[in-house]
Amino acid sequence: MKPIMNALKATYYFFAGDAILLVAVLLAFGLATLLAHVSAPNVLVAVIFIALIVGGLTLTLGRELRGRKRGG
Amino acid sequence: MTAQVWAVILAAFLASTVEFVEAFTIVLVVGVTINWRSAFAGTLAAVGALAICVATFGTALVVFVPLAALRFVIGLLLVLFGLKWLKKAILRYAGLKALHDEEAIYEEHLAEMRARGEAPPARLNPFGVLTSFKSVLLEGLEVAFIVITFGIQANADNHSTQFNGIALAALGAAAALLLVVAAGALIRAPLQRVPENTLKYVVGIMLTSFGTFWGGEGLGITWWQSDLFLLVLVAFYLAVTGALILWLRPFAPPKAAARKKALGQPAEEVAG
Repeated sequence: MKPIMNALKATYYFFAGDAILLVAVLLAFGLATLLAHVSAPNVLVAVIFIALIVGGLTLTLGRELRGRKRGG
Repeated sequence: MTAQVWAVILAAFLASTVEFVEAFTIVLVVGVTINWRSAFAGTLAAVGALAICVATFGTALVVFVPLAALRFVIGLLLVLFGLKWLKKAILRYAGLKALHDEEAIYEEHLAEMRARGEAPPARLNPFGVLTSFKSVLLEGLEVAFIVITFGIQANADNHSTQFNGIALAALGAAAALLLVVAAGALIRAPLQRVPENTLKYVVGIMLTSFGTFWGGEGLGITWWQSDLFLLVLVAFYLAVTGALILWLRPFAPPKAAARKKALGQPAEEVAG
């Protein structure tokens, strides 16, 4: 079990290394797939897709900032 | 050659330059403290392993995975990768994270190696070979990933049988390797002057823009003005990340306090 966990952990750190980024990007791709599937307008899908990606980056930077403020 | 082909070569070249500069620092330490034979043997073995990795995975993915699924997955992974690089670069530009200091890393590893207290042998040293192999392989894995993803996508966009996107991306990476090795051989010191953070930032913008574009195509989004929308995405991400840097900059610790933290000394002593 431990080698599998280690492999998963290494893969996570290689590709993302940040839970907020991972969730935001998965959400962006997941939600855009869903919207495209229900034939939502192209512009709406594109805007939501990009907004979630940018939102993820902003959130993770905000978290870094809060962590540094708390740490002094 | 089309703009997208140049983008593939450029992305692979820039990303590889950053990673190879980092790997070069460790190889240099091995060369100086153990011997150059071990340093080169480890480097060559790692480059060979990476080339096999790119050839095997690149071909397997093209042959076995359908194009639409490939675009989706490549887009997703590129966006993740790009955001990871952008986050680091933004924090460094804003002053919230220390810049990558090749000289400090070099000194630290040099001290570690010398602490082992072994006289430099003339023949191959397993520890030296392994150390340089590991550093080149680990840094090179990110390069291999970029070469594979950009190469496959370029193949998908170019239907000519003569065209090999992976080979073109690998060419960009090889050019970076040659440049770093040549500069290193000339200077014989850690490559401090390479603007690593700027390169990281540029590559982050490229990966995120291409990832958004290709991922969106995989989802079925029809981009306005087709391929030209890539430039809009690049400009958009530059503007957003620029705004994020400006937002974070006022929260950076003053330089004296940052230096104190790095040295582990009281602020007054450093300031004085």
